[in-house]
Amino acid sequence: MKRSGWRMLVILAAAVFAAALSGASVAQQKKLVLWTHWDQNPEFNKWYADKGKEFAKKSGYEVEVVTIPYQGYEAKYLAALMAKSSAPDIFMGMTHHWCGQYDFCDKMPADLAKTYDENLPKYMAEVGKWKGVRYGIPIEHGNFQQMYINVDMFKKAGLNPDDPPKTFDKWLADMKKLTIADPKGGEPTQVGFAIRSKGAPVGITDKFLPFAHAWGARMLSPELDKATGYANSPQMVAALTFFGDLVNKDKVASLAFGNPEDAFGQKRAAVIFRESWFFGWLKKNAPDVNFKVYALPCEKVCPGAGALFPWTDLVYKNSPNKQVAWEFMKFISNPKDDMEHHQLQGILPVWTPNLDSAYVKARPDYQSTKDMLAQQVPPTYFHPKSNELATAFGEAVVGVLFGKGQPKPLLDEAAAKMDRILKD
Amino acid sequence: MNSIASASASSHQAGLGLKQVHVRWLITLAVACGAIIVFFPFFWMAVTSLKTAPEIQRVPLQIAPDHWLNFNNYFEVFKREPFLRYLLNSTIVASISAVSSVVVSSLAGFGFAKYDFPGKNVFFLAVVGILMVPFQSVVVPLYVWMNDLGLLDTYAGIVAPDLVSVFGVFLMRQAIETIPNDYIDAARIDGCSELRIFWLVILPSVKPAMATLLIIKFMWSWNEFFWPMVVISSPQMKVVTMGLISFTNMYFIEYNLLTAAAVISILPILLIFVTLQRWVVQAVVMSGLKG
Amino acid sequence: MLRHQVFATAMRQWFRIAFPRNYLDRRKRAGFLFVLPALLFFGSVFLLPLAQSVTYSFYKIAPGGAKEFVGLRLYEKVLTDPTFWTAVGNTVQLLLFCVPTTVVLALAVALGLNRIANLRWRNVWASMYFLPFATSLVAAALIWQWIYDPIYGFLNYALSFIGIAPKKWLQSLVEVRPAIAAVSVWVRIGFDTMIFLAALQSIPQEYYEAADMDGASAVQRLRYITLPLLNPQIIMVCILELIFNFKIFDQVYATTQGGPAGESQTIIMLLYDTAFKYFRFGDASVMAVFVFVTLMLVTLLQWRLFRKPVEY
Repeated sequence: MKRSGWRMLVILAAAVFAAALSGASVAQQKKLVLWTHWDQNPEFNKWYADKGKEFAKKSGYEVEVVTIPYQGYEAKYLAALMAKSSAPDIFMGMTHHWCGQYDFCDKMPADLAKTYDENLPKYMAEVGKWKGVRYGIPIEHGNFQQMYINVDMFKKAGLNPDDPPKTFDKWLADMKKLTIADPKGGEPTQVGFAIRSKGAPVGITDKFLPFAHAWGARMLSPELDKATGYANSPQMVAALTFFGDLVNKDKVASLAFGNPEDAFGQKRAAVIFRESWFFGWLKKNAPDVNFKVYALPCEKVCPGAGALFPWTDLVYKNSPNKQVAWEFMKFISNPKDDMEHHQLQGILPVWTPNLDSAYVKARPDYQSTKDMLAQQVPPTYFHPKSNELATAFGEAVVGVLFGKGQPKPLLDEAAAKMDRILKD
Repeated sequence: MNSIASASASSHQAGLGLKQVHVRWLITLAVACGAIIVFFPFFWMAVTSLKTAPEIQRVPLQIAPDHWLNFNNYFEVFKREPFLRYLLNSTIVASISAVSSVVVSSLAGFGFAKYDFPGKNVFFLAVVGILMVPFQSVVVPLYVWMNDLGLLDTYAGIVAPDLVSVFGVFLMRQAIETIPNDYIDAARIDGCSELRIFWLVILPSVKPAMATLLIIKFMWSWNEFFWPMVVISSPQMKVVTMGLISFTNMYFIEYNLLTAAAVISILPILLIFVTLQRWVVQAVVMSGLKG
Repeated sequence: MLRHQVFATAMRQWFRIAFPRNYLDRRKRAGFLFVLPALLFFGSVFLLPLAQSVTYSFYKIAPGGAKEFVGLRLYEKVLTDPTFWTAVGNTVQLLLFCVPTTVVLALAVALGLNRIANLRWRNVWASMYFLPFATSLVAAALIWQWIYDPIYGFLNYALSFIGIAPKKWLQSLVEVRPAIAAVSVWVRIGFDTMIFLAALQSIPQEYYEAADMDGASAVQRLRYITLPLLNPQIIMVCILELIFNFKIFDQVYATTQGGPAGESQTIIMLLYDTAFKYFRFGDASVMAVFVFVTLMLVTLLQWRLFRKPVEY
């Protein structure tokens, strides 16, 4: 290259370096930084910022919402929370992880904690608490599975869509009627149940737990300190056998159907167990699916409203703005804001006064949610090592689904592993 | 001497006749088929980006989109995310990284190739060892360090782990090793300082390697995801790979938008590659004849 | 006494680098200075955090965040954990799929491209092979996941035309690892091809002409001229591919997350889960040390075993 060419390159390089040093603009406005990885709910997340503008009028602090991609969020959260000065003031996560395993959370002021204790649905009383102390605000109600059925497919199979199965025995019989097997012996063209079989074992555990609870089993002891005798109890073995048979023996569910949500939306599965946000997704992505929502069937007991992933808003312990953060939390902690916030995104509000509002009553899952809440509250597993425990347990579930082994030995193995994790 | 030899060789080859041509044709066909198979996912990606979400999930599969000029997904991508800004950020970051890599790698390659100093092999091994460190295990200390330096959410912070490339050192060392020592000694006798030797003798001789490294490092940096994701929080500093991920979330993937975004993010790379590659190949071919 | 002598010699040598006494010393110092920027960079960005994470491997983080020194206990725990060794086994299997396939295919393609006389077409095909390298691993993995989809994916659709039943690919216990390996091969093949092609271009024609005059066949030419001359590149590519595939993470994280049933759980995927989902930083650091040591040993071995001096 000629001299002038090199000169150009040097100038260009200098310009690029200068740009590098500029970086993001420095904001002068005081603000609270809120991190969330709920990337599928953009309107919900944006509401915090909008409310923040109102809040700024009396406190001088706006709210900046940063949506962290769900992929890899654990690393980002941990890095930031450990680095202290770049950490968010408020962040969304699970209380028993960030406040139990680590010590990143600030205790909620007593008056606000009392407000929440008085206004949360009964089954959510422990969500946001660790060892009896409240740290976080639950952001979602209805994060428990309910039964969605495809009305048209039910009718076609000769079943009454207004009379859903209430026990798992009847449910299985219905699933069989709804499954159209392949005469050539391949995968069925239509299945009764859309089963979740791919992805991380934690998610699979989450989807299996209603079955476990319906059979009267629980993953850990009530004090959350033992797995053997619980994760591999006879009830659990029975539940897992039933679950595995859905795929392997009764063939009312298939592992080849990919995403259960897609299968249901594509009308290739008649029933799916999913949470309350699902019908919003259906309305948007599969508007032609005629569905109804019902409470889950029961076996020995009813599964009830349980959640493995209780998402809460938490305040960072080392934040210089934590007083203001709690002020903001107080500012938005009232029935009206709770209603507005959740209605924006089409999800269920958290405050009990709102549970009978017109908005909630108009939802297709209103009655089913009430029915589920009337059921017994199932066990919760809010333990700092819940991820690892649920993964170990999930490996047994996946093993049975994929025919890698029988329920009892796999569960024994999983229980032993879980005990090792608990003792560690 | 060269031309005579090649002339006799070609006449020798011409004598072999049809079989040689046959084999050559088969080879070309095989290469072409392979290229098409390798290219196919891109074609598929492009085609998917022209479909609407229901079209994508149509069974049985339909290769062609309903409307070949359906660019809605592209509009949606730009509407949802400030993708132009992401492209700019990625360009800046990748450029810095590429230029810096080329400079530092050339220097280091020269040092490793043509000099002897105590601990040289240990140092080289240490450099190679960098490749063996899983990035996930250094990300938290690195982040804390960036935070202490106040470089979070800045271009400098994003670029920091990417300023030098181990592969670059490898490549430049190998390229510089092939430069005959006589040239260097001649320059020394002429009284050039070591740095001038680098500038006048070494750099001009390794232009193809430098250009190759420039392209590869630019691409590699452009496609980085994990570190930018950890170090960037503010929306206007995001890079293209993060933009891509925003069309996936906790529950599902929007393939129609994802493929559109992927096409958008590949186009600049393609452009750079096409312009620079001709130069590279040309230079490589010419240097081959020189040898 | 020998160690003392070596140390003294080293100190003396370094002293002379810092304070050169003659021309040769100055040359040595120049060499060191050329290498210094790279060393400083790598040292600060990678080696320091690596050292820090090695220290983590001797600590256990108790609930609440406090650190507790436990010596080699975590090493014992991780290295006797069957899950860890399963992940190692999976990774090795992936390696065995990817590395030979990539190297051989890249070599074949480079040889083929080299034979193409028309420069324009050669560029076109070469670019097409190189293109996958231009996509981010995450995007590539997601696109391939879509192609592999049992219901909507193109692969099953295409296979149905030749009578092969739809397969579960990323959902299958058996097919998941080859499927992921195929993605890695696809991404890397262009890069290696380019390296080989550049090297092929610089082999002087005279060698081939001499061989022709001796009546060598194409296979003999390949075996006795091309491959030996390409030896340094082949070694470099093998080492790079080994390292790259041993550390495989992005593709797995974006698609199977280690599933189904742990069949695609690789070491780095396990490391990530252990560090960030299970909050066991000490254990994860042990795994990092394992990866580092293993790769270092294997690279050194490859270097020593396969390095053949080539007579020009």
